[in-house]
Amino acid sequence: MSAVHLKNIFFSYDSNVILKDSSADIDHNTFTGIIGPNGCGKTTLLKLILGLLKPNKGQIKILGKSPKDVLGKLGYVPQMANMDRDFPISTLELVMMGDTKTKIKELKDKAINLLEIIGLKELMNSPIKYLSGGQFQRALIARSLIADPQLLVLDEPTANIDTKSEEKIIDLLLRFKKYGTILMVSHNLDVISKAADEVLLVQNNITTLPVDKICGHFALGLYHKLKDTI
Amino acid sequence: MTFFYSLLHNTFLQNALLAGVLLSIAGGIMGSYCVVKKITSLSGSISHSIIGGIGLFIFLKYNLNQGWADPLLGALLSAILSALLIGFTHLKYKSNEDVIISAIWSLGMAIGVIFASFTPNYTVELSNLLFGNILWITGADLIILLVLDLLIVACVIIFYRKFLIICFDEELAILQGLQVKTLYFLLLSLIAISVVLLIQIIGIILMLALLTLPAAIASIFTKKFSHMLLLSIILCCLLNLSGTIVSYELNWPPGPSIALLSAALYLTLLLKKKKKIILSHRRE
Repeated sequence: MSAVHLKNIFFSYDSNVILKDSSADIDHNTFTGIIGPNGCGKTTLLKLILGLLKPNKGQIKILGKSPKDVLGKLGYVPQMANMDRDFPISTLELVMMGDTKTKIKELKDKAINLLEIIGLKELMNSPIKYLSGGQFQRALIARSLIADPQLLVLDEPTANIDTKSEEKIIDLLLRFKKYGTILMVSHNLDVISKAADEVLLVQNNITTLPVDKICGHFALGLYHKLKDTI
Repeated sequence: MTFFYSLLHNTFLQNALLAGVLLSIAGGIMGSYCVVKKITSLSGSISHSIIGGIGLFIFLKYNLNQGWADPLLGALLSAILSALLIGFTHLKYKSNEDVIISAIWSLGMAIGVIFASFTPNYTVELSNLLFGNILWITGADLIILLVLDLLIVACVIIFYRKFLIICFDEELAILQGLQVKTLYFLLLSLIAISVVLLIQIIGIILMLALLTLPAAIASIFTKKFSHMLLLSIILCCLLNLSGTIVSYELNWPPGPSIALLSAALYLTLLLKKKKKIILSHRRE
């Protein structure tokens, strides 16, 4: 049983077809990069996997079950640009939002522990608007990890942050790989080639690629050439 | 000051002041949710659409002699109905949300004006709700306000964390298996109740000022949502009180006095904040 099983998926927004007859299998405890040109449906694919969108046709199994049966077992890090940074909560409160089932005291201890691991314990009482892009992104990852997910889904977690923060995030994700499966959308093929075990190229359908195939194709405009080389 | 002297002897004024405190609890709390969830225009739509309910109930009460048809009950029912319609639109037809909210706004007003035209001798009640009249408040009204306040406070205490997640990140709430639709409808219904409470002081037309400005001012000074809630309640109370005093002393209508004070305070603080940010950038 694979961690993620997609079989003959079709999805469209009205007449705009995003995915057709797309299939893929992702093994447990692997790091899979999702790449593709802008607007190709990478975020749509993540939302289908998370159960936030329903496919027009096809079957999706997550951890052997339908997405709605694994709610609470999935961690999700959305695109940072879509988050309201002015929302009046502290870093600690942001991380604690990731779990609504655990009792507050236990959850707080767990959140502080996670913040220590990601190097943000000193900033736990800071409002989220005072965090840098990299710090906020790490706090979002901590939020997605607090409920001990078996599958972690990340949408461009290294976009618009500096190289040092990027390295910290990738290091954190690689440590998580022992405990669960990682799916990460990124435009940064350099990051994907260093961290991922395999790659899903999204372009109308899904093509699974070994990670060495994308080495040397760092420029975004080369996606079509990448597909031609398969 | 004549206001404080009158307060000792005038039951209407005492009721008005007590009502102001009770309404500020509801307004301060739900206004904070409106501000952080950025749905203040939605509460504007709710407040204007309830003219339909008020107009209908005035028509039922006076033209059809239905004694139970209190205009305030009509306001409450139509506010909750509008909130549920808007919530449904938000969840199902997000791309057309803005237009549908505007349509609900106009539709409610149109229905209200049509029914009001059938009962021309009783439009003073509609007028009082349009512009607010806190001196209306009776002892029985205070009990209703207290009950509705307790309902709002209890819901917010019980669902504090869940409401916070829904306001910050709806997708996260779905992934945690929370009953997002139910919680969102509940949140909107509580906002609708607060809107109906606030229009008694300040009226439908100026209600948004008292719902959103104290919360917006509180957001300037606070870093945590729980602190924002408390400060918003206190500010709502103070603006209510000072607006009522100004209106009494200058013989101005209370609603516009409160709205003017709230807007003046908010704009002054916002400009000060902007100036501070510009100065700190220049120093850097």
